[in-house]
Amino acid sequence: MATILKAEKLEKVYRVGKVDVPALRGVSLSVQEGEFVAVMGPSGCGKSTMLHLLGGLLTPTSGRIVIDGEDLTAASDAKRTDIRRRKIGFVFQRFNLFPTLTAEGNLRLAERIHGNGADDPDRRREILRMLRLEDKMHHKPLELSGGEQQRVALARAVVNRPAIVLADEPTGNLDTENSELVLKMFRELNDRFNQTIIMITHNPEAAAACQRVIQMRDGHIV
Amino acid sequence: MDSIVISNLRQRPLRSAISVIGVALGVALVMLFTGLAHGMSDDLQKRSSNVSAEIIFTRPGSMQLTSSSANLNTKYVELLRQVEGVESATPVIRYFYPSGTWGVDQVEGVEWDSFSKMNNIRIIQGHPPNGPNEVVIDETKAKRNHPVGSTLKIFGEKLYTVAGIYAPESGARAKLTLASLQDSLEAPGKCTFIYVKVKNPADQIAVAKRIDQQFPGNKIQLTREVFATIENSIPGLSIFMRVLVLLAAIVSALVVMLAMHTTITERTREIGILKAMGASRTYIIGEIEREALLISFLGLLVGFALAGIAGFGIHKATGLIFEFGWKWALTAAAIGLLGGAIGAFYPAARAANLDPVAALAYE
Ligand SMILES: Nc1ncnc2c1ncn2[C@@H]1O[C@H](COP(=O)(O)OP(=O)(O)O)[C@@H](O)[C@H]1O
Ligand SMILES: [Mg+2]
Repeated sequence: MATILKAEKLEKVYRVGKVDVPALRGVSLSVQEGEFVAVMGPSGCGKSTMLHLLGGLLTPTSGRIVIDGEDLTAASDAKRTDIRRRKIGFVFQRFNLFPTLTAEGNLRLAERIHGNGADDPDRRREILRMLRLEDKMHHKPLELSGGEQQRVALARAVVNRPAIVLADEPTGNLDTENSELVLKMFRELNDRFNQTIIMITHNPEAAAACQRVIQMRDGHIV
Repeated sequence: MDSIVISNLRQRPLRSAISVIGVALGVALVMLFTGLAHGMSDDLQKRSSNVSAEIIFTRPGSMQLTSSSANLNTKYVELLRQVEGVESATPVIRYFYPSGTWGVDQVEGVEWDSFSKMNNIRIIQGHPPNGPNEVVIDETKAKRNHPVGSTLKIFGEKLYTVAGIYAPESGARAKLTLASLQDSLEAPGKCTFIYVKVKNPADQIAVAKRIDQQFPGNKIQLTREVFATIENSIPGLSIFMRVLVLLAAIVSALVVMLAMHTTITERTREIGILKAMGASRTYIIGEIEREALLISFLGLLVGFALAGIAGFGIHKATGLIFEFGWKWALTAAAIGLLGGAIGAFYPAARAANLDPVAALAYE
């Protein structure tokens, strides 16, 4: 199995005024293609910071990240954006759909930014069927339940076949029933499309469903 | 519906409408002012150029743009007719009087026979003015609800009867007999100026010199130079127009800038999402510019419509003439679109430079 993501000795220090806040203190990590990895740890231990670094939303203070053969840390700001566009799908705790667009509109926007149009209508249809969204496509986010919104966000994240999906507490805003449903969908995406996923979660049952669990504490992987 | 541009505008209809109207006002202002300047100077040109006399003979100071007096003795008419090279001469009183709230209007007193013969002016309906209570008017004035036989106030309370309609347009739109106007102004035997037509237009300068030698102390102007004066007043006007256009552009730019600025502040998190999805700076600036251009474009359409409606209304109410030209319409269009694009650029660039993580955390 090929390594799709490799992070070496990642350090991240936030500067707040004159105070340095170390958030990551040397994290190394390797993820294989098709893996479903859970990241756990107490609040403030640096999980989100790590995810943002892996997705190129932040630059590390030191260390190196290679995604699907491309060095994220050596890249310019524009190049990092480009790698993100082609290789990464984000899912957030608060869904982050565009409220003025329908579910369909949110998906199309992702496709337009990616620039591939609907290059594989079969896959698109299959994703929507799997996420049970076919009859929700003409609704706006506010007309959908939290679980449905997160499923739309998930569809948006995977519609362009990213190398890796990065999810930051995707079930954090959902009730138990919807959490289970969304988790099931993550698993199915992983099973059916061999989608690589890194998911931050506080939910031990969610973590149990993953192939690997990474525990973090105080900016370290333990 | 998968365009954030259009859905954004629909999300905030009031703000969108205000922005559109802001741009529209700038555009309409440019159209109305240039249309008015154009219409009025064209109208003036047309009416002046129907004078076929080459020389205008006056007393110094008797004729300014908006005031005139009848201080020239009409005995000069006979004397001028005897000057070598002169074909005909006809006396005119031009009298300016306040009209409406702001306006100034003018009326002329003429000796109809010699005046109409010299300038090839025909009565197309009715008959020439006769006696102290009759007036003839041109077709433009007749169209404003003044048919032959109707009565008309010109200045003061006196009512004149429309005796006829003449064409082509020349000078003041209403013409009385010389005697009638002399009487009203208590200036018997006087006029404002005398039109002089020469036998051979090529000799007009020589004839003008001869007149000057024979009747020193009077003012002798060539008609073509009076036209040139009208022409010359236009560059000053065009500087005014340019200033106006610049102001309109600034207003459009500011309106769009403000609209885009608030839009972007409000949508900070959405910009963060776009960035997380891998949207480039160019893409984000492009989306915001498209929104601004759409606002500006709608503003343009509304502005043109506004200018058309306002121009028509003002014309009906005051008789001011608007002539909308392609050149100025294109300028106004460019101003509206460019103003919008430039106004949006700063907020767009700021949005494109937002830190994605901070934008995503924005409440
Ligand atoms: N933008 C920031 N500026 C300063 N400190 C930050 C910033 N973001 C996170 N931190 C700090 O970095 C540490 C790790 O935060 P985070 O990665 O959000 O942890 P987690 O996701 O595990 O809760 C925390 O101490 C947090 O206060
Ligand atoms: Mg976090």
